[in-house]
Parts: sequence; structure tokens; C-alpha cells
Amino acid sequence: MKAGLEVHQQLATGKLFCACPSELSDAVTGSFSRRLRASSGENRGIDAAAAHQASRGLTYRYETTEANCLVEMDEEPPHGLNPAALDTALTLARMLHARVLDEIEVMRKIVVDGSNTSGFQRTALVAAGGYLELGKRRYSILSICLEEDAARKISEKGGEVLYRLDRLGIPLVEIATGPDLITPEEAREVAEEIGALLRATRRVRRGIGTIREDLNVSTEGGRRIEIKGVQELRRLPQYVEREVERQRVLLEVRDRLRGRNAASTFPPALDVTELLGAVDSGPVADAIRHRGVVLAIALPGFAGLLKSPPSSEERLGRELADQARFLGLRGILHSDELPGAGIGAEETERLRTRLGSGPNDAFVLVADRSAERAGAALDRIAARALAALDGIPSETRDPLPDGRSRFSRPLPGRDRMYPETDVAPIPITAADLARIDAGLPERPAALRERLAQEYHLVPEVVRQLVAGGHVDAFEALAHQGHAPAVVARLLTQDLPAAGGGAEREWPLGLLGELLSAQQSGRFAKEGFPAVLAALTSGAPTVEEAIAKAGLSGMSRAELDRLVDRIVDANRGMIAARGEDAFSPLMGDLMREVRGQRDGQEVAAALHEGIARVLSEPRA
Amino acid sequence: MGQRVELHDPAGADWTGTIVPSHELSGDRILQLKLESGYNVGIRIGTDFTFRISPAPPPSAPADERAATGSNSVAHPGDHIALLTTGGTIASRIDYETGGVRPVRGEGEILDFYPDLLSEGAVRVVPVFDRLSENIAPHDWSILAERVALTFREGARGIVIAHGTDTLGFTAAALSFLLPELPGPVVVVGAQRSPDRPSSDGTSNLQAAARVARDRRIGEVVVVMHAGLSDTRFAIHRGTHVRKMHSSRRDAFQSRNAPPLGVVEGAEIRLDVRVRPPSPHGARFDGPLDLSGRLLWYYPGLTPELAEAFVRGARGIVLAGTGLGHVASAHVDWIRRATEAGVVVAMTTQCLEGIADPFVYATGRELHRAGVLFLDDLLPETAYVKLLWALGHASSPDDVRSLLRLDRVGEFVARHQTRGEE
Repeated sequence: MKAGLEVHQQLATGKLFCACPSELSDAVTGSFSRRLRASSGENRGIDAAAAHQASRGLTYRYETTEANCLVEMDEEPPHGLNPAALDTALTLARMLHARVLDEIEVMRKIVVDGSNTSGFQRTALVAAGGYLELGKRRYSILSICLEEDAARKISEKGGEVLYRLDRLGIPLVEIATGPDLITPEEAREVAEEIGALLRATRRVRRGIGTIREDLNVSTEGGRRIEIKGVQELRRLPQYVEREVERQRVLLEVRDRLRGRNAASTFPPALDVTELLGAVDSGPVADAIRHRGVVLAIALPGFAGLLKSPPSSEERLGRELADQARFLGLRGILHSDELPGAGIGAEETERLRTRLGSGPNDAFVLVADRSAERAGAALDRIAARALAALDGIPSETRDPLPDGRSRFSRPLPGRDRMYPETDVAPIPITAADLARIDAGLPERPAALRERLAQEYHLVPEVVRQLVAGGHVDAFEALAHQGHAPAVVARLLTQDLPAAGGGAEREWPLGLLGELLSAQQSGRFAKEGFPAVLAALTSGAPTVEEAIAKAGLSGMSRAELDRLVDRIVDANRGMIAARGEDAFSPLMGDLMREVRGQRDGQEVAAALHEGIARVLSEPRA
Repeated sequence: MGQRVELHDPAGADWTGTIVPSHELSGDRILQLKLESGYNVGIRIGTDFTFRISPAPPPSAPADERAATGSNSVAHPGDHIALLTTGGTIASRIDYETGGVRPVRGEGEILDFYPDLLSEGAVRVVPVFDRLSENIAPHDWSILAERVALTFREGARGIVIAHGTDTLGFTAAALSFLLPELPGPVVVVGAQRSPDRPSSDGTSNLQAAARVARDRRIGEVVVVMHAGLSDTRFAIHRGTHVRKMHSSRRDAFQSRNAPPLGVVEGAEIRLDVRVRPPSPHGARFDGPLDLSGRLLWYYPGLTPELAEAFVRGARGIVLAGTGLGHVASAHVDWIRRATEAGVVVAMTTQCLEGIADPFVYATGRELHRAGVLFLDDLLPETAYVKLLWALGHASSPDDVRSLLRLDRVGEFVARHQTRGEE
């Protein structure tokens, strides 16, 4: 397996080609609608991916917000490239030892899915050919680009796709690694390190959706697959594993097809609506009820190859279904899963006869209310089935929440790029680079070392602080005199677990108050989750949160009484197990203390209690 | 150009790509390469670089030969409209030599860009000019008008003129005066976004214009462009009332002093009662223009000396004055000298909306006494074009003034109503 990563990070510098803020907005001010069409590129070719999108013939409606101007609406030419965004990209280029271009040329990358009002995304290659050092390994960096983020898709129905323009034009730095990642775990580590580098520039946006990873995966004998827009780093290994597995299964299908000498052409599709008139449930019945059609195509030699092999969940059938889904159908039916879905054995047999399918052959059914759409879907399915004879088609795939991915479009080619003539080339001089070099931020590796030494933290905690982007908050709070270990725990464990969404911004002042309250003994550090939960669910102040969490009072005397009660109730066990009784009793005790006293104090009190029982004369 | 090279920079970088023309704003010694990824990059070539010419690249998408030949191969049955091309954004594409856009050449290339053009009927493509509209001059208006008349005589039922938007308003006004009788619509259309981008408004503007050109109710020169920001509504403007009011928006063209003549929405065309019906007598070309008229935009700081020098040699001048049609009192003397010498001096308002009126303020009355002709609500550009036409049709200043005052093609609006939203 070979995998490479593309990390896309939004910048907080304002938009790339206009003066709008790089912020999302819900203040919708109006809307307008457009159509796009694939246009000829520089070499007069029409890019496959672009033509493919245009073939869907959709109308696009765009919501404008207070965070937009005429530029995002494609009603005004782009302004000059945002200098702060360019500086950020240059900073990253220098930190990644990449060669910065002498003159940066902004390109138009054709994207006609409506996510850009212009029909293209502006993108520029800023630097190429660097490397990232991580531990003892060096990972090659292929390119560092600066590009515009796309509009936010809000909904799609009835041939109209609704986008909101707030996100369009937010600068994205794209860092692409070489195909050097060998293990799925490595993908996560490298992504994490690139994330730390990005945050070191202090010009990145924070929160869900502000950083996205594309995975390029190819396996031995496979082709390059791009899984676009993974938002959660921890899921990276999962996507890599599932993709490797998917390619393994599809290559196996290819080999078996070749072994059967499967034909490289298919018989034409047939309308089988009449054969299935008696079907009274499932998608077929639905289509027939709405005067739709059921079309079928025979796939000679494909019997048994559409379903998953034993011990795998991947299958060719799903790839075919993705093609139908792309056109808005809910899915397909195929012979490997029949009888089923409302189609009985008798109908299956009739279909087989009608299609002239033998025991080695499979067939696919498409049912839809529109005959035209069903036909188009079947064309795509046949093309995809033919491609199975070659193995794995190069394509862009969308990640799904369960670790799988789904076909999104063919991989775009170079034909979809041509120069953005509305923006003059940007020369980068030696003086520019000297200025950037003079202001380079601390590298993550140096930062980790310094944190470990300065604050006496263990490597894993340091890693979590850096990877989670908590360093600024950590240092600010530690410099206020709060115990570094407690601050680190709060930031890396309690806050992420506290709900309210990862995007919740915790004001430093509030965290400082919280730490002060804990350190002055108002509650034990075990009480952080409860207090944070109270704050998340609406407690306006730290004081009220403590009260709401029920932590506002357990005196030492109360703790002693609690210990006495628990020890008394467990005399038998203590007598039998001696000091070994500590662990189970500590668990019970902590549940009752609920963070109202410090854990060490509770432990000490319990040890004393146990010792007291053990020292009593035996009855 | 087009050569594939491998470039080695001893500082440690290697590049493989195709040499493409540098941007006209590129720096010295910058070589522009198109990399395999599709990105263009600029590399400053050092003396110690080494090159290697690589084998020819894999053939890229085949060029469409139809575009290059430009032959007029479409049959033209009786019922057709004609598309006269003059250049401009609507008919231009990226030029890799200059980095800007260049006009599309020939019928083939036009149909290549607008494949849907023929979907509603036959279209005859007639190339007239090959220019951005800032390069179209008054002399060209006559050529274009004569071409329109000829094209009608050759059987077109309506005519679309694809034109650059910068001076589209001038051309539309000029055609209005030069073609006072028309057997069908003359629809001037442009694009604010070049057709090489998927979002170009040229596609839908042209389609709407072609639809209007097939409408049998219209016998005048109109402009059809986006009515708003959506690709769904198009306004039909009278050629003498329309002005480009924004440098880049799709709905830049607006009718001044009166609402548009109509709206195109989907297949439906809604027309105002003001629309002039087709003439039963065919197209009449009513030239010539006399180019010795001028247009002067008054501004604080414009000295009488400068203004008088500007007018020297002219038979007539249109002033775009402030407010109701004013200039500083110091200008009255040269204006009086000019009118006494037989120069026609006409006044319009640079407010672009509302009328020029000499009787409200003292300066206006003074200008009136000095012989200035106030042209009510004519746009300065329309007044200028009409002046050229009037100078071409009369020799005495008084006759020119009479022609200027006459409503020839519905250019004056008697009633100025609110737009409803006020």
C-alpha cells in the first residue's frame, strides 16, 4: 500500500481574493440562481470530471450572507491575492524546506458542481519539493498550494442545489505529501504533525470543518483513489484500511472475471417492467406504482461477484449502486441478492430467462419513476461493470461516517486547469523570503522539547497539547501560576470530553477562574468534568456551576464520616483481604465523593480507615 | 512554446513541464512552465540551470478543427435569425500570449462556445468586426447599421449583435438613430463574464437575445442582458435609454428614466405597450453621421480655456452638466461665442437620471440666453450620438437644433414615474 495525504487548512486571514472576513455566517441577505456548463480548457479539452458534473444539468441557488461581497458572487473580478494568506503559505513552505516558486501563477481549476459561483476554484502552487521530519523518518512534501474554499452545500432537491456563499473564498493552504505513508497509523501521525505546523503559524481557523484531509491511496496493482474531505484525524487509519480492503476485493473480482474469460461487452439493457407487475413491495413496486420503469442488464460472467466475499464487507455491487445513487436513484437490485426485496424466486427465474442469463451470469435491475434517469443509471452501471475487468478505476470518493467511502466523481485531470488571467503573477523575491525566515514560528519538535523541559510534562501529555492545538492556552494559564499538570489535564482531557461541541471556545478567563477555584480547594481536580458539564448546560458563572454540579460542599469531617461508613460496611472484606481491599473500596468512595475532595486526600483517608480496622483486635 | 522540458536547478529542485507563454506582467528571466499537475509556475532561470528537452508529451485532448476553419457552413432557410459578431467579451476567449482575453474568430468558434444557439432555430453567423468594444468607433456604427439593413434584406427575421459591453450603449443608441425603420428586432447583447468560464452570462444572454430576435412584435433596436444576478430573467432595454451602470455585474445594463421595454423569463417574453412594431417597408438605413460633434463632461476645475480649446473645430457639442444642466458661470462667455459662431451647444445632465432644465436656476437661464439647447432626459451618450446623426442630416445650426429636439425613435420620455419601490 502507498498512501499520501493532502491537508487542507482554512486560514483566519480574511478571504483569498476579496476583503471579506474568513468567517461563516447565518445572516442570509438574499439569493440568486445560476447554471454552469463545462467550458473548454487551455488545450480545448473538456475535463472528464467537469463534463461529468455538467451532465447532471442542475440549477444552483446561492444564498448570500453578510460575510459576502460581489467577488464571491462572481459579480466582480478577484482582488489581489491576500498578502497575509500568502505569508502563511510561504512560512509553511520554509518550515517544510520546500522550494518557493519565483513567480506564483494563480490558476483556475474547473469545478462545475456549483460549489464555486465562477465554475472554477482559484488555486496557486506556492512551493514544491520539501520534506517533513518526524521522529527518525522523513516524509516528502510534494506541494504547498494556496486555494479558495468552496461554497457550503445546504441542500439538494428537485434538480436544484442550494449553497451558501459564506465559506466560498476562505483561503485554504493545501499541503500534499508524497506517497510515503506505509501504515494507516502513519497517516494519522503525519497529518497530526502537519496540523501542528499549521497551527504554529497562528493564522489558522479553528473548529470542526476548518481542517480537512484528502487521502490518496493506491495498492499494488490498484490505481490512485482520492478520498476527499476527511474531517476527523482519528478516522484516517480507518479510511486507509477500508480502502485497502476495498481494492483487495475488487482486484480479486477482476482476477476471477479474467479467469472466467468474462466478455468485455454487454448485451443491451431490456425493459422488464411487465415481468414484474406482480411485485408488491420494495423499490420495484414503488416505481411501477408511479408509472416508472424497471430496466435490466445482464452481466455475463459476473455471477457471485457482486456480493461480498466471505469475511469482507466490500463488494462490486455497492460500486455499481453508487453509480445509480449519483443520479439520484436510491440504489439497484442485483442477482446475487435475489430472491429478495419483494422479488420472489419465480420472478427471478423469469428475469433470468428473459435476459438469457446462465448460471455464471449476473444481472442488475434499476427501478425508477423516470425512464430517462433509469436508462442513464444503467449506462453508468454498465460502464462501471466493464471497468471491473480492468480492476479499479481512478476516482474521487467521499468519506462516509462509518469508515467507508463512496464514489463521488472521476479523478480530475490536468485539463481542468487554466490560468486565472484576472490576477497578475506574484513575484517572490529574496527579500520576501528573508522577511519570512526572520519570523518563522517555533517548530513543533522544538516546541515539544521546550514544553517537556519547562513544565516537566511527560511526552504523551506534550504530544496531546501540541496535536490538540492547546499550547497557547496552556502557556497562558501556566504563566498565571496554575499547576502545569492540572492545566494540561484540563485542556487535553476534560475540555474535549465536556460536550458543547469541539467548536466551543472556552474563554481563557473562565478557565483561569475554574483552575483558581479548584486550587483553592473548592473542588477536587476530579470534579472538572462535572463543573464543565454544568457550564456547558448553561450555568453562567464558575460559582454557579460548582453549586449546580453539587460540589459546593464536602468538609473534611464529612469525608471522614463517609470513609467510616464505607469501612464499617465492609469490615468482613477488609479482614479477609487486608490492604487489597483498598482498590474496590476506593472505587465506591470516589463515586460518592464525586470530585468534592482531592483524590489523594480521599485515598489517604481510606488507607487510614483500613489500617484502623486491621489494627482492631480480632473478635 | 509547447516544448516539454526537464529543468534542473543546482540549488536542488527539478521541474518537468511544458513551456507556456509567460504572462505579459511576468518578471525578467521568468520561464513559465505548465507542470504535469496542470499548475503553471514561474521559475527564474539562473545561468547554472541545465535543461533537457523531453520526449513529446502524450497527446492532449484533440483540438477542435471546426473552430479553426471558421467556414460558414450552416444552411440558411427562410426562417432564420442572424448573429452579427463584433468581438467583445461575449465572443472572446483566453489569449495565452497576452494573458488577457481575445475575440473569438469565425462562426465555428462561436458555435463551439454556444452549442445551444441552434436549438431553437436556424442562426446565420455574420462576422462584422473582431474587436473589443473600446476599439469600436463612430465610423463603425454606420458600417454595422448598413450591415444590419443588408442582413434583413437577405432574409433574416431578426438580428442579434454580439458586442463588447463597454461601449454597447453607444452602439445601441447609434443603431437606433441610423435604423429608424426595421422589419424585425435588432437585439444588441453582450457578456460581463467571458465564455471560457463555466459561469459566463454570455450563454444565457445570447439565448435570451436569440429568443427576442424571433419575436414578431418588435421593430426597434433593443439591448438584452441579465435583469438581476440570476441566470433566469433578462431585461429588454430600448437602445436609446440603456447605460452600463456597473463595471462588472451581470445586471450592469439599466434603462434610465423609464422602465425596460420588457422581460424575458424562460420561454416567455413580456413586452411593454411602448414597443415599436416592425415596419412593413423593410429596413431603412438613415445615415450618415457627421463626426464633428463632441461630448464634454463638466467638472469643478474645468477652465473656460480648456473647454474652449476642446470645442475648437467642432460643429456641435453635448455638455454633461451638473444637476439640472449647469456649468460654472465663467463658462458662459465661451459658450456664447461658440453658439454665435454657429456651433450647436446642447446640455444634458450628468446625474444620468432626470431632466436638464434651464429655467430653475440663474445659471441655467444664463446658458439658455447664451444659446444652449437643453435636451431634457437624454443620456449624455445618447445626446452625443444623436448630435452626430443630426449634424449628418442638416447643415444649418437651426436645423440641427430642430432635429435634436425632435423625438425620432422614442428617445425622449415625457413622463417620469417612480419605480414602485420608493
